[in-house]
Amino acid sequence: MGVTCVSQMPVAEGKSVQQTVELLTRKLEMLGAEKQGTFCVDCETYHTAASTLGSQGQTGKLMYVMHNSEYPLSCFALFENGPCLIADTNFDVLMVKLKGFFQSAKASKIETRGTRYQYCDFLVKVGTVTMGPSARGISVEVEYGPCVVASDCWNLLLEFLQSFLGSHTPGAPTVFGNRHDTVYGPADTMVQYMELFNKIRKQQQVPVAGIR
Amino acid sequence: MEAPPVTMMPVTGGTINMMEYLLQGSVLDHSLESLIHRLRGLCDNMELETFLDHEMVFLLKGQQASPFVLRARRSMDRAGAPWHLRYLGQPEVGDKNRHALVRNCVDIATSENLTDFLMEMGFRMDHEFVAKGHLFRKGIMKIMVYKIYRILVPGNTESIEALSLSYLVELSVVAPAGQDMVSDDMRNFAEQLKPLVHLEKIDPKRLM
Repeated sequence: MGVTCVSQMPVAEGKSVQQTVELLTRKLEMLGAEKQGTFCVDCETYHTAASTLGSQGQTGKLMYVMHNSEYPLSCFALFENGPCLIADTNFDVLMVKLKGFFQSAKASKIETRGTRYQYCDFLVKVGTVTMGPSARGISVEVEYGPCVVASDCWNLLLEFLQSFLGSHTPGAPTVFGNRHDTVYGPADTMVQYMELFNKIRKQQQVPVAGIR
Repeated sequence: MEAPPVTMMPVTGGTINMMEYLLQGSVLDHSLESLIHRLRGLCDNMELETFLDHEMVFLLKGQQASPFVLRARRSMDRAGAPWHLRYLGQPEVGDKNRHALVRNCVDIATSENLTDFLMEMGFRMDHEFVAKGHLFRKGIMKIMVYKIYRILVPGNTESIEALSLSYLVELSVVAPAGQDMVSDDMRNFAEQLKPLVHLEKIDPKRLM
């Protein structure tokens, strides 16, 4: 996977989530991007069950289990500021077996769904972030396929982001951080999504009707 | 705390429950050659396949009496192979006529940071060992003939010592729940290996 930047697009003044998504996608289409199917990234949260905590004397940790339609046979499991495990889809079956030790916070399942656009070497995914029935925000993912080292192509990515996000262009993602020369991988993208989902979860509900 | 008996539920929550059917036996070192020779004749035609694996067993202790056990296995001689995470359930208490040991199994291929991740989840390593031997296949049956090595210095797989003067022989099949005829096929195959090795159903609980 090429270097990827995941960011949030704030909802436009006086518009709904869906309308803002449409504005963005129209801009992309005018640039010359081609629609190429849909995508979905979802995230479930698990926390250590109270029964396990007592014997280990540690504070409960949150574990996120995520899926990305770009990698349909994989499952990503991560801890905030911790390791990210890439496993196959049987990991979900294992989580069912671990029910007694890790409880799923069903209400906090969050996902983003939308369209994929290909524009030359860039792959752009604009998605509506939903928690249950309500739309909570907009995610924008841009991948620059040919390059896998963040420091080599961040400037180019930034320029491209500015061309259609304008003033909403994000800064460099924290995953690029101090590891400028390491190879970028799918786990880094999932960490970015986890941070985005956590940010959106904390934000107040968007005060408009959900997806129509 | 285990999930409810799995043979009654072939499909749970959209995924098929897989069961491992297992027969085990052993041969002394000096009988290894004749056993390998016979297996080469009986099994699917392929190059003699050897393996060298390092397995670590992790436990998660909760308030429940029995800890949750997970096995993490990596290949020491195949670079780039994924790590193998395995969950094995309690042996199903079926009828005495069932010829093989049956238990629920979940196999997961993972990235290399598996041990770090398991520690983060709260698992602690209970023990580890190195397994070195041969692998054969006949249809869906897998036959492994291998020697277990004790690791003298934790984490150092270079200094190992054989646990015994024999090889462990395992005949196993991983199949969806409810396919009991699999154990009949296994029994028939095991018959062909007699008297070189006697493969039988060994209940792990009776050894403890």
